[in-house]
Amino acid sequence: MKQLTELTTSFTSVADSIDLPGQDLSWIQEIRQQALAQFNQSGFPSKKVEDWKYTSLWELTQLQFSHLVEPVEVSEQHCEQLALLEDAYRVVIVDGVFSADLSKLTSLQEGLTVGPFSQSLERIQQQLGKQVSIEKEGLTALNTLLMKEGVMVHIAEDKIIDKPIELLVINTGGTDNLATHLRNMIVLDDNAEATVIEHYVGLTDTSCLTNVVSEVILAEKAELFHYKLQQESDNAFHIATLAAKQATGSQWHTNNINLGAKLARNDIHSQLFGEQSHTTMDGLYILDNEQHIDNHTRIDHFVPNTTSNELYKGVLNGSSHAVFNGKVMVHKDAQKTDSNQYNHNLLLSRNCEIDTKPEMEIYADDVKCGHGSTVGQIDMDQLFFLRARGLDEVTARSLLTHAFAVEVLERIPSEHIRKALSNVIEQRLPRGKK
Amino acid sequence: MAEQKQQIEEFVPSEYSAGFVTDIEADSLPPGLSEDVVRQISAIKGEPEFLLEWRLKAYRHWLTLETPKWAHVHYPEIDYQDISYYSAPKKKTDGPKSLDEVDPELLRTYEKLGVPLEERARLAGVAVDAVFDSVSVANTFQDKLAEEGILFMPFSKAVKQHPELIKKYLGSVVPYRDNFYAALNSAVFSDGSFVFIPKGVRCPMELSTYFRINAANTGQFERTLIIAEDDAYVSYLEGCTAPMRDENQLHAAVVELVALDRAEIKYSTVQNWYPGDENGKGGIYNFVTKRAACRGVSSKVSWTQVETGSAITWKYPSVILQGDNSIGEFYSVAVTNNMQQADTGTKMIHLGKNTSSTVISKGISAGRSENAYRGLIRVGPNAENARNYTECDSLLMGDTCGAHTFPYIEVKNPTAQIEHEASTSKISEDQLFYCKQRGMDTEDAVSMIVNGFCKEVIRQLPMEFAVEAQNLLGLSLEGSVG
Repeated sequence: MKQLTELTTSFTSVADSIDLPGQDLSWIQEIRQQALAQFNQSGFPSKKVEDWKYTSLWELTQLQFSHLVEPVEVSEQHCEQLALLEDAYRVVIVDGVFSADLSKLTSLQEGLTVGPFSQSLERIQQQLGKQVSIEKEGLTALNTLLMKEGVMVHIAEDKIIDKPIELLVINTGGTDNLATHLRNMIVLDDNAEATVIEHYVGLTDTSCLTNVVSEVILAEKAELFHYKLQQESDNAFHIATLAAKQATGSQWHTNNINLGAKLARNDIHSQLFGEQSHTTMDGLYILDNEQHIDNHTRIDHFVPNTTSNELYKGVLNGSSHAVFNGKVMVHKDAQKTDSNQYNHNLLLSRNCEIDTKPEMEIYADDVKCGHGSTVGQIDMDQLFFLRARGLDEVTARSLLTHAFAVEVLERIPSEHIRKALSNVIEQRLPRGKK
Repeated sequence: MAEQKQQIEEFVPSEYSAGFVTDIEADSLPPGLSEDVVRQISAIKGEPEFLLEWRLKAYRHWLTLETPKWAHVHYPEIDYQDISYYSAPKKKTDGPKSLDEVDPELLRTYEKLGVPLEERARLAGVAVDAVFDSVSVANTFQDKLAEEGILFMPFSKAVKQHPELIKKYLGSVVPYRDNFYAALNSAVFSDGSFVFIPKGVRCPMELSTYFRINAANTGQFERTLIIAEDDAYVSYLEGCTAPMRDENQLHAAVVELVALDRAEIKYSTVQNWYPGDENGKGGIYNFVTKRAACRGVSSKVSWTQVETGSAITWKYPSVILQGDNSIGEFYSVAVTNNMQQADTGTKMIHLGKNTSSTVISKGISAGRSENAYRGLIRVGPNAENARNYTECDSLLMGDTCGAHTFPYIEVKNPTAQIEHEASTSKISEDQLFYCKQRGMDTEDAVSMIVNGFCKEVIRQLPMEFAVEAQNLLGLSLEGSVG
């Protein structure tokens, strides 16, 4: 295991040299110490670990990442172009640093608190790190050790926030091999409702690492629409963990759209602790060239009368490689669980590869659980139908691919957001070629 | 209905009906495993040099391996030095020449099990190569099969009579390096069945073997090899029972099937080994490696299994679809009750062009049991137009059992069409109500609904087995619904 230690020290050694928030807070120092010990012990996961069977971090571990940023100016106008939504509260993080100038946080609606992680530590002391486990994931331990920035969102009881909140994370590529470790905390009190969009953008094709952990706490009957749009650069490593704890009657609707990065890994975990709670997990990945994506989702039904829906779709082109692993756990006594999970993949080229594994572990009898996964290509009958009506082959293929992809947006209630996402997807889709 | 009920009741002594111990003197090796033991086994069986070498290579490789831990099963560690690796019924003469010479105790055992040996065999059209512990005792219908050029004999006999075939095919589908239990089996396998169907021959009857683990503390390590040459067809049945014993007994078998051009092999199993008592005491550990190679074009292999016994089942009958247009099928019913654990499924490896596979798996869990489906569908980069359909359904009875699905799908070719579907449910109140309203009692209703749930699989079994399997289902789930 000597090798492993060498790999981890390139990260752990910087912990002392960079300016991490909370140096004066003993509780956060304690958390970081635990994380350090844990990361030293577990290191980066290898392919021998079942959860990393199809994804190798070898390339990542061979790079020497930098934690010192050379600031690059992003103009307000440029930022406006990058953002998904025009009319939204916005938190902008450029190369891992919060930008107050670019953020739009004026005239916040009553009951809404939004701020950068580095300035909100005291507010989140009670909840920080409670939704994720550093023991199970070395990368979460690494994030905990080095977390520097992110966003903190808090919605007070009974407040419905009308405007979406967009977290715009921009990697300018100004620093070679820049590593950013972000931590987001989203807390909704009883009956609160909000929409949060995590948006990751890369501007150049410089190599970088984004390691983000988002924690979500939904109190009774809270409802969160939680979208993610990942458009990192072609040489980026994007590692994301997203975990929520849900109380009675709460609803968490996630949609996870991945278009960029050389290697992206998402671990999404919903923990249904309250009855009548619900999780939606939808997602889309569109890959080309050498891209690699690994989506691991897990839904824990701990109590009776909870529901979950999951739909992940993938379009693979070039010599890309996609991995899907969805796990639904129905724990003992979680009777009347209703869960379904689907993963559909469209393969467009010779050299792409898909490894999909929808899993169920069920320990209660009165449940309705189903899952399915398919791998296939464009249906010749459908193609014929369109061709017979005068569409040329390229257009017909594009149309069918687009129709396949945008199905994952159907459960987004806001037409505005749905359209914005649909536009982004359309631009990314491979033009049907013969 | 009354008739069916009676039939079920016949099979429903609440204790394990096959749990009797036949009192026969056995030639056993003392417990323990070493190179000497491997040499001894080989010497007892008078094996040629190449086989001993192969066993020793397997043994040395086994020493380097660790017990696999990935399956969803839990059990205390097995002490491999505490097992006796050879046990054979003591010979009175040099070997039975006809049925009359077979130990009457043995025959009674088979009678109790309802194995159609003697006249019943002829009527039922079944040729039985009964493996009693490790040495095959009686072969029926040898002559009739010989006429067709079919070889159906104990493995040890095949080693002596047809060493060239053994040399060519042994370990060609499951190499000794394959996994922990396959390596162990390769080192110490005692006996098993060997079937060879020559070119163009359609085997005129169902071939059948009954395995039975008798002596206490003997692991059973049988090895089956079936070869179907071009255009051949064979249907092979395997039934398993073990007497009731308190210690857990280890069973690590290897089954290899080879199908050449346009050949078809149908392999059916009804596994009814002792599952242990209600508290999980005793029972068989069933760790089996079964694999088929569809080597030839348009060849076909079909696995059908009904698994109701064993304390722990760890078994993945697989098909390697090498030949173009080859077909693999897997039909399975796995029932677990009380403290039983099953981790079973299949692997379909698509390598040739236009290959297709079908997987139908039905899991039923009751009591405090765990039942997992674990499957792999792999499509290689050159497997154009591969097609797979997988369906795995679970039925849960009671809130203390578990049902799990772990389907792996790996596709490296864009022309593949893969579908996987799984569902989990319980017997609905509506279904029960409907049956009860028509005068059936709960037990009958459940038995009927379960049989309906499994029909797609049971239907694949040969007639006699289908009846036994249906009865077994009812029997295994005895008392699991209140």
